[in-house]
Amino acid sequence: MRKSPLSIFARNWALFFVLVLILIFSFTGTNFFRLANFQNIFHLSTIYLLLSAAETFVIITGGIDLSVGFVMGLSSVLSATIMRELHAANFPPALSISIGSVAALIVCIIPGFINGVLTTKYRVPPFIATLGMGGIVNGITLVMCQGFPVSFLPPYLTEIGNGYLIYVLPGKAISFFNRPGGIAGEELKELIRIIPNSLMFNFVILFILWHLLKNTKFGQHTYAIGGSMDAAVRAGINKNRHLIIIYALSTFLAGLAGVFNVFQTGTGNYTLSTSMYELLAIAGVVIGGASLMGGKGRIGGSIIGVILISIIANGLHLSGVDPFFRFIAVGLILTVAVVIDQSFPDLL
Amino acid sequence: MGNITTRKNGIHGILLQLGNRWAIIFLLLGAILFSIISPGFFSFNGIQVILINSPFILLLGLAETFVIITGGIDLSVGFIMGFASVVSAKLIATFVGLGMNDLLSIIIGIVITLGIGMIPGFVNGILVARLKVPPFIATFSMLGITHGISELIIEGSYIKNLPALAGEIGNGSFINIAPGKTVSFFIKPILQRGEQLIEILPTVFVIPFIFVIIFAFILRSTKFGQHTYAIGGNVDAAIRAGINVKTHITKIYMLSSLFATIAGILYALRYITGKADAGTAFLLDGIVAVVIGGASLYGGIGSVWKTVIGCLIILVLENGLRMLGFPTYYKYIVVGVVLIFAVLVDQFFPELVHKEG
Repeated sequence: MRKSPLSIFARNWALFFVLVLILIFSFTGTNFFRLANFQNIFHLSTIYLLLSAAETFVIITGGIDLSVGFVMGLSSVLSATIMRELHAANFPPALSISIGSVAALIVCIIPGFINGVLTTKYRVPPFIATLGMGGIVNGITLVMCQGFPVSFLPPYLTEIGNGYLIYVLPGKAISFFNRPGGIAGEELKELIRIIPNSLMFNFVILFILWHLLKNTKFGQHTYAIGGSMDAAVRAGINKNRHLIIIYALSTFLAGLAGVFNVFQTGTGNYTLSTSMYELLAIAGVVIGGASLMGGKGRIGGSIIGVILISIIANGLHLSGVDPFFRFIAVGLILTVAVVIDQSFPDLL
Repeated sequence: MGNITTRKNGIHGILLQLGNRWAIIFLLLGAILFSIISPGFFSFNGIQVILINSPFILLLGLAETFVIITGGIDLSVGFIMGFASVVSAKLIATFVGLGMNDLLSIIIGIVITLGIGMIPGFVNGILVARLKVPPFIATFSMLGITHGISELIIEGSYIKNLPALAGEIGNGSFINIAPGKTVSFFIKPILQRGEQLIEILPTVFVIPFIFVIIFAFILRSTKFGQHTYAIGGNVDAAIRAGINVKTHITKIYMLSSLFATIAGILYALRYITGKADAGTAFLLDGIVAVVIGGASLYGGIGSVWKTVIGCLIILVLENGLRMLGFPTYYKYIVVGVVLIFAVLVDQFFPELVHKEG
């Protein structure tokens, strides 16, 4: 099948749009076209990248997961609480950090598992099941932390979360993972930081998920279920089991985002009920070309969708535009994304 | 009605009746339980508190009822409410600043806001009905746009300098009785210090409730209402029956936006300010109330009075838990459980699914 240039453009319009925006902001924004700024954009998008990847799987099956934002809060608070308690009990920092992270990740599979069971075995619409689960998880999180961020955590958390792979002090020193010792003042400003740890983390996770969705039977079954549930069942796919795994994977990734949040901020943060993480993640997925009807979507597309939203926020900010314009911009782009999608129904 | 479910006998029939009316039974049981363990709950003041807290969730629930019956969803009502609170507060403050009479500026401000407030709904309707954008996306976009515009209007702060009269209206009551002296409506009578004043039915409750009564009637007994159900039940059949579906859906989203606007205006009057995020907390409560009331997100099922019961369940749980000394967070857990329970009940009694009214 030959693809017309127009349809190639329409399919990848978000990518083209990102490039156009980078071009525009390079002229309008102070310090926009800098390595440091691009690294920053990726670093600050980490949470949304993970949540969008989670939503990508769910949305391809024709579902939706409104609980991920609150599961992220649960993971953040729970892992931080465990780390704090272990740290207070004089465990070595590395041990308390690992135990806290792993325990939170395991616990975060539970809400997704329940979501999956409710949507498959009891045929509760995903919107309702995950909305209710979001409320329940949010309540549990708030009861756990009593409405305050969890602090007094072990050291090194933010050094890992906000660290870089390579530090170069031009002409003087180079080091990996840690800043070269004995620099301060003016020298600190000259220090070049390359590849944030969060970028490598993102790359590894997203590569695994991309591979899972694109090249494995699991991924093919995911598309099959979203494309036609009946056909998938007739083809012998255990639809219930598959969907339960998808929803569990979704909250697991949300849990990963929450653990990252602890590494990034050094505190355990609950999710405000007005923060709308899940909606922005869904926006990223839809801008990336997925359809809420199911059967369509790509990890790569979702990444571009998230980066598009982040670049708009970052670029407008650096161009001195009122930050609130970005809400309007995201709204407009989202609508455009779907209208384009509607105009080219044969794209996939 | 005379449908099959009501004629069944035996245990199954009783179970069906229970399943059908579980929301109202749950509401009554909750109210009785809270009245027993917390003495202040079922008192004059206890009920007034519930009524004072009710308007925003009632109006947003009403908005979502219509949209959800057509098979859509409206995520923008929360920020349209904030937008309306900002616009109305800004207009009123501006008019007063121009030296206009307080009452006149409030009235003109409200009227203009009602007009402006329908624009987001109109755009939503066009996007959903004509451009075939899924309601979830169209209204989420509108959520972002109204949020951005509100923040630009208030410049990251909130609107100040509303006349004191606005607060008197927003915090007043429908009936004010000064025993043995006078009775007045909406505005408090002027009293000497120490004189007793009995306030019945808060204004912020009375206004939404009038809309609830009117639109319960419209949804149940008019052609407009029947068409709404028809579209939600089966769009193709509705088109073939000659209903102008596109226009109807546009009207529904405008109606939804209008209710959110009224909620925003009441917010401005009650709190004497306009805030961009005034309605964010009530959006999900509104949707939850509709679903607890037995509506289906697939469309075609739901009613205004059932939504009211859903709203009351949330309000009773919220107020009851608060009076028992639980922090607000417990409400999220309980409401989440009730929400899932509501849908499970529907699933266990499939005979109920096709029942209306």
